[in-house]
Amino acid sequence: MGGGRRRRSGRRSASRQARGRRMIPLRLRHLLPLVVLLAMMAMLMLRGYVHSEILADYRIRPEAAADTVPQKILDGGPVVDTRGGGATSLDVPDHRIVLTFDDGPDPKWTPEVLDVLKKHHAHAVFFITGTMASRYPDLVKRMVDEGHEIGLHTFNHPDLSYQSKKRIDWELTQNQLALAGAAGIRTSLFRPPYSSSADALDNASWPVTQYVGARGYLTVLTTADSEDWRRPGVREIIANSTPEKGKGAVVLMHDSGGDRSQTVRALDTYLPELQAEGYRFDHLTGALKAPSAHTAVTGLELWKGKAWVFLVAASDDITGVLVVGLAAIGFLVFARFGLMLLLSAMHTRRTRRSGFVWGPHAPVTEPVSVLVPAYNEAKCIENTVRSLIRSEHPVDILVIDDGSSDGTARIVEDLNLPGVRVVRQLNAGKPAALNRGIANARHDIIVMMDGDTVFEPSTVGELVQPFADPRVGAVAGNAKVGNKDTLIGAWQHIEYVMGFNLDRRMYDVLRCMPTIPGAVGAFRRTALNRVGGMSDDTLAEDTDITMALHRDGWKVVYAEKARAWTEAPESVQQLWSQRYRWCYGTMQAIWKHRRAVVERGPSGRFGRVGLPLVSLFMVVAPLLAPLIDLFLVYGLLFGPTGRTIAAWFGVLAIQAGCAAYAFVLDRERLTPLVSLPLQQLLYRQLMYVVLLQSWITALTGGRLRWQKLRRKGQVAAPPGEAAPAEAGRAAAVDGGAA
Amino acid sequence: MTNSEIRSPGVPSQGVSSPDAPSPDVLTPDVPPPGPGSGGGTKAPDAPSAPKGGRDRYFDLLRAVALFRVVLYHLMGWAWLPVVFPSMGVMFALAGNLMARSLAGRPALTVVRGRLRRLLPPLWLLGAVGVGGMVLAGWGPDDDASPGWWWLHLAYWVLPVSDPPYGESLSGVHGLITDDWAVAMGVPLWYLRAYLWFVLLSPLLLRALRAAPWPTVLAPIALSAVLESGALSVPGWRLEAALSDLGAFGACWLLGMAHQQGVLRRLPRYVVPSLAPVVAGIGLWYALSDDLRAGHDLDDMPFAQSLWSFAAVLLLLHLSPSWAGWPRPLRRWDRLITLLNSRAVTIYLWHNVCIGVAEALWDHLWSIGWLERTTPWLLESPWPQLPFVWLLTALCVVCFGWVEDLAARRRPRLWPDGRAGSHRA
Repeated sequence: MGGGRRRRSGRRSASRQARGRRMIPLRLRHLLPLVVLLAMMAMLMLRGYVHSEILADYRIRPEAAADTVPQKILDGGPVVDTRGGGATSLDVPDHRIVLTFDDGPDPKWTPEVLDVLKKHHAHAVFFITGTMASRYPDLVKRMVDEGHEIGLHTFNHPDLSYQSKKRIDWELTQNQLALAGAAGIRTSLFRPPYSSSADALDNASWPVTQYVGARGYLTVLTTADSEDWRRPGVREIIANSTPEKGKGAVVLMHDSGGDRSQTVRALDTYLPELQAEGYRFDHLTGALKAPSAHTAVTGLELWKGKAWVFLVAASDDITGVLVVGLAAIGFLVFARFGLMLLLSAMHTRRTRRSGFVWGPHAPVTEPVSVLVPAYNEAKCIENTVRSLIRSEHPVDILVIDDGSSDGTARIVEDLNLPGVRVVRQLNAGKPAALNRGIANARHDIIVMMDGDTVFEPSTVGELVQPFADPRVGAVAGNAKVGNKDTLIGAWQHIEYVMGFNLDRRMYDVLRCMPTIPGAVGAFRRTALNRVGGMSDDTLAEDTDITMALHRDGWKVVYAEKARAWTEAPESVQQLWSQRYRWCYGTMQAIWKHRRAVVERGPSGRFGRVGLPLVSLFMVVAPLLAPLIDLFLVYGLLFGPTGRTIAAWFGVLAIQAGCAAYAFVLDRERLTPLVSLPLQQLLYRQLMYVVLLQSWITALTGGRLRWQKLRRKGQVAAPPGEAAPAEAGRAAAVDGGAA
Repeated sequence: MTNSEIRSPGVPSQGVSSPDAPSPDVLTPDVPPPGPGSGGGTKAPDAPSAPKGGRDRYFDLLRAVALFRVVLYHLMGWAWLPVVFPSMGVMFALAGNLMARSLAGRPALTVVRGRLRRLLPPLWLLGAVGVGGMVLAGWGPDDDASPGWWWLHLAYWVLPVSDPPYGESLSGVHGLITDDWAVAMGVPLWYLRAYLWFVLLSPLLLRALRAAPWPTVLAPIALSAVLESGALSVPGWRLEAALSDLGAFGACWLLGMAHQQGVLRRLPRYVVPSLAPVVAGIGLWYALSDDLRAGHDLDDMPFAQSLWSFAAVLLLLHLSPSWAGWPRPLRRWDRLITLLNSRAVTIYLWHNVCIGVAEALWDHLWSIGWLERTTPWLLESPWPQLPFVWLLTALCVVCFGWVEDLAARRRPRLWPDGRAGSHRA
């Protein structure tokens, strides 16, 4: 957002002393955005986890010696029962085939496999992984409903011989959880990932088999591997899956992990062929004439499973939304940069071409009134007034002291400068002070500045030149940061230079400048009178008045050479409260002028072009900005780290390019740009947390109360910060900020 | 090649923790320790930078933290510890700062001589005890390429222009000190050698710094990069070790000098916090991609070390609040920090031997069967040894610390923690 307004922070501290801080809400306003961010991060991680982007382990152990595996197991059948410490093998009876499908369910191939099985009245066993079952619970449900058996294939398919017992437990438990959530059952069948036939058990995999048996599972290996994952062709798959004449078999196939069209087509031939030879396709416990491997899950376990499946679905949905959001913010950021570069180049060309004049009455030489509203500006006011005295343009200077307690008015009076008047009022707020100043001003063009801002001798003259065009109602000057030596100062300097040289030029061309900065702006008295002067309806009276002028049909333009030097906040706390006021005030002003959207004439034009643009760039886009950091952190930790870093630097480079262009336009030295990378990592986040806080205020009651602001001043300060001591004076100041 | 190869040829990484060692900094050169309490009211020789010319307690704090970190690291061996706080760079920077301060007011020769006078006697004391012990344990002329060289190299114990030699596989005394105690004693001496060279070069460095501040400060990093790339091959491990340390820590020493010269103050204040993290990031990235782990840490990667230490020192000097007295929360640590500062060389030289003794003594506990059965984790953990190591180090401070006072031409004290008049020796 275009920086450039400066309000006095001294007032805040005064009222803070009056009330002290209220700690609890203060924490809440930090906490709430943090919780939102953490929740989104957790959802992202959950999604990455069930998509095997996190914790995935792709190691496969090479073959090992097999001397610790009992010989009878190596020579035995494919079903290994090590429950209760024993070790026995079971074989499938002749003329029975147990089809097994690993790694699913898969959203595309599993339904086709199920359809073929159904068509030929065959049953099978599906060894599902927890990740896939969590993502496609409906398919698991369908398997169970259609009479197939389910077995575990671990949660995310690691080679268990590399894993600790704790991890094995966890893989099984998590897999059961997903199964319970999907189909409401548990199973006692298990097939280890990367397993094959019983004679391939070795010293590495046997302990796993024993351990899993000790946990009550039956380990199901294979007798025939269809090798369908190689996609060797339909005939080859059938040949691989056909046992020797009439023997029973456990056949391994896959319904997931790639293109399984061959598997599906092979099944469609294989099933009827072997059925014709007298084979029956049953699930495992059916073939072994054993009780079902399934048991119903009830109570807490069932609900945990359902909650898990729900969370995974939610995380998928939320991630989808976040990705759309990221795309949106990416588009907005780039569109904004593109638009800014284009329009500011246009603006620069137009206003800098030789012989350029603002309008028929150029040059503007009539004297102007300069209003300096001041509240406790004892330290700065002398510099401010003296800088005005040196003005090359004829000025009438009016200092309006808003009930200062530090003798600001006296300081000015003691200077005894010609052409400087002091008006005092009881503390009534900046809008009131400005209105008093307008009433006392002698000239028809009125310049407004802050009490801590310093003008150059040519500033006033440059600022009023655009009034040569009778349609111009107000002019924004170019506010610059005077104290840019510190990091926080340099960051604000970059922000101001970009805000004034890119944003404001763009808004100028689009005729929807949202704000005349309080630090340096000029108004036509007739324009002010038509819109009723300054108002204290919002915390940002400068945005409010600017929007009102737009709606009244006045042009608002930017005068780049009218430079004013202002002092930027030097502590995070000060910066925070300044930006909170700007941000919340801007939202209030947009809300206040919302009717412009449906109005006719210039008001309607502003309402339908300016307001949406301003809302988009200043209120909506920054709200999405945390997504950039969210995906940055996620990408750094789990994602393609290199590509994430490259993308981040790419965006940084574009930003640096835009910033450099703005600096060149303003003829600024480029050195402060070294702080740009750190700005992207610290400052931007501060800004959007402030924005989030403004949203929270707006949505939790601020919206209802804002109309009363001027009287109560409750929302005048960020929630939890000192509210003004006396309600009246409060609201008051500084557009209401305490 | 790694530093440990450079430093102890033929002794591939011994049990001794790596050569990072801390430094004596020079301890507190010309400014005598402060009087009680107030922290600083003593006489001030020459101090263009420090406002009142007294001790900068911020620097004292950094030196104490650095020293504590070195001892902790040598006991624990964690690779991340030198990353969290690069003690060596900090110590060199503080020493460089003091050196520049002294050179600003007095002739170079006097300053260098004074600095050597303060550095060498503690080393000689260590050498007297250490070399004597090594010879008793069977170390002798036959351990070097030729007996003549052995005698010649012994001279490095007197003036350590190169690393003083030590017995490489001497056995310890069972139950009292672990094997390789001589290595433990000899390895940290690289710091004194590097320090000596920095002191000798300082008059030159200061002139270069005044003529071209930033190129001078950055030159050692460039040297380190050249050595890292292998573009420059150096004959002999002694020269290579010297250049390698010059490259790794020269920028820190020069930053300390530059800070004293006000070079940092001439930068806009946003520059250092903006750039230092970038330099640190490159250094860390380089270290991580070079397999940073226990036993292969920053001390074995001179280039990564030079970047990381430079960035850390830059930030610490940028913050430099110049405390004339202690901030309230630190006031209670005043005496401890004062003691660490007054005895930095002694602690640095002796702590590694103390670790060896502590480990040997701790191992006695294994003979208590009950402990071995019930709490073997306690016996294996280095944590309970930490207070023990400091206890032994305190003993060394009492036994050998006085030589630092002699070197500084002060009245010897047993326990110089800043309390007035206490513990005269």
